[in-house]
Amino acid sequence: MEIAIASGKGGVGKSTLSAVIAITLARRGRDVIAVDADADAPNMHLIMGLERWEWEEPYKESMVAKIIQEKCIQCGECQRVCPYKAIYMDEEGFKVNSIICEGCLTCSLVCPVEGAIVREQAVSGVLRTTKTKYGFPLISARLNPGRPNSGKLVTEEKTKARELADKDTVIVVDSAAGIGCQVVSSLAGANMAVLVVEPTPASFNALKRVHKLTKHFMQPAAIVINKWDINPTLSEEIELFASRNNLDFLGKVPYDDSIPRSMALMAPVIEVFPDSPASRALLEIADRVNSILDDWMIWFLRFRPKKPEPYKPIILKPEGF
Amino acid sequence: MEGERMIVSVSGGKGGTGKSTVAVNLAVLLSRGYDLVLVDLDVEDPNDHILLGVELENEEPVNIMLPFVDYDKCTKCGICGKVCDTGAMLISPDGLPYVIPRLCSGCRACLFACPTNAIVEGKRTIGYTYDTEVKLGDGFRLITGMLREGEEHTPPAVLAAKERALSTRAEIHLVDTSAGTSNSVATAIDGSRLVIAVTEPTPLGLHDLELILQLTQSMNIETWVVMNRAGLGPEDRHEKVVKEYGSEIVARIPYSRDVVESYVRGVPIVLSKYHSKEAEIFRDLVSKLMEVLG
Repeated sequence: MEIAIASGKGGVGKSTLSAVIAITLARRGRDVIAVDADADAPNMHLIMGLERWEWEEPYKESMVAKIIQEKCIQCGECQRVCPYKAIYMDEEGFKVNSIICEGCLTCSLVCPVEGAIVREQAVSGVLRTTKTKYGFPLISARLNPGRPNSGKLVTEEKTKARELADKDTVIVVDSAAGIGCQVVSSLAGANMAVLVVEPTPASFNALKRVHKLTKHFMQPAAIVINKWDINPTLSEEIELFASRNNLDFLGKVPYDDSIPRSMALMAPVIEVFPDSPASRALLEIADRVNSILDDWMIWFLRFRPKKPEPYKPIILKPEGF
Repeated sequence: MEGERMIVSVSGGKGGTGKSTVAVNLAVLLSRGYDLVLVDLDVEDPNDHILLGVELENEEPVNIMLPFVDYDKCTKCGICGKVCDTGAMLISPDGLPYVIPRLCSGCRACLFACPTNAIVEGKRTIGYTYDTEVKLGDGFRLITGMLREGEEHTPPAVLAAKERALSTRAEIHLVDTSAGTSNSVATAIDGSRLVIAVTEPTPLGLHDLELILQLTQSMNIETWVVMNRAGLGPEDRHEKVVKEYGSEIVARIPYSRDVVESYVRGVPIVLSKYHSKEAEIFRDLVSKLMEVLG
């Protein structure tokens, strides 16, 4: 069983909610694996107060191009074809900006000189895991700054989680902000999507975008409103949006400084401020997730999207095709 | 991207620290002295237009190359499949290549590698750019990049929006980036005279601030730090990291309901609450910025 927590917009409370859900499910006796799928800005370990990793492995997936100066004839073809504008010229000649290069190596294919552009492996990040003090493992990853926003790394984290899981394990995936490859990889294969939203126009708009993704995947999804009381009117509108779009509404969390204060303490809010209004609301939400898991099939049948809305690429065919 | 045009970028690592809030407030103030374009390069979740209360206008598609195979010319050599970095060029058991559009990054490697010119260029629309007039301050243009839902490949959309912005030939390009420190962020801030990194006084903010400082240091871009939600927690470790990277905290914005309210209402706080402390902090920051901008 896999639960993915997403939001589209950053900083609305994904990691806080993910940590609370994972800890609560474990407290209720479930076998849990937490996955921090925000490799660009991994934060779950900070919320859970973890300071070291039991196991770490470099992640070497990505490639970058390198121009061998002695062989380069300064024709500039590489710069012309680079889709990412990663090739620049300085006083020494053409160079690859390895922080922008995606490693497609298109430059090497147009280079007229054999061996003037070579492929180099870049260590793009680290994959790591450790046991949390709540008894379950956390799988995390960190991309080095400037590396492609790799959905592949997220897929690798999830593969690792699935290897460790048995049939009753619940994998809780905390996704990245946005709707790009890391989020697509986080949602792929999830049995339940939990979408976190704040009652702000920006967050509501982002929610609609990430909801489109869950519809592409034919995934049942549920909504959690965080800081609902900063704008009760918009909060109500979001609840209405949820019911109109057949999204389950798991609950709403009030604005409460116990959450930022718990972050400063590097501990989950439900542990250090268990009686705060936010903690109580979060716990109730986590318990609702727990009860959904008891009868997941019934929930799935009720909340899966009624009409398939698969992704359709917009394609402009060349003449004659 | 050199030239007399100057790029200043707002970034920060962690999501939700207030990048867009800082960007729109600076844009309104800077529009009073400069020919300015605000460039929203958070293509996965662009929201500067929402904070400015405008509807996006002048849509243009972002097209990337999509290969089509001319099977009359294909000799089943399989080279296109070998050079494809994303797995979009699938070689079937009978040796013929098939394209999976969703996976294709449009890099053209297959096109250049094919020995018989059997690859023909088509296109795929992965997103849109917009050019919107904003009538706040002394008026400025907002260029926005937006990725289509379901598309995963962000850098081409970032690049397309950035190029559209640069083609306006405005004096100042104020770039708002996405969260994180991936190459999409690197593409967005590339060529910047200055990066303003917005963070918050939490261990999470600190962790991601260090990542963005690593990125800007490796790209050799001067970086200023803005501490948003100041007072929420201790800042001593932030200060230490900021110092280590030769940066400085140039502004502290206290946490307040006013900022949250202006965010909810779609009017930047420098306009909605001119006399507020926050508005004054933004005006001070702009004065400091003007020393750099000239």
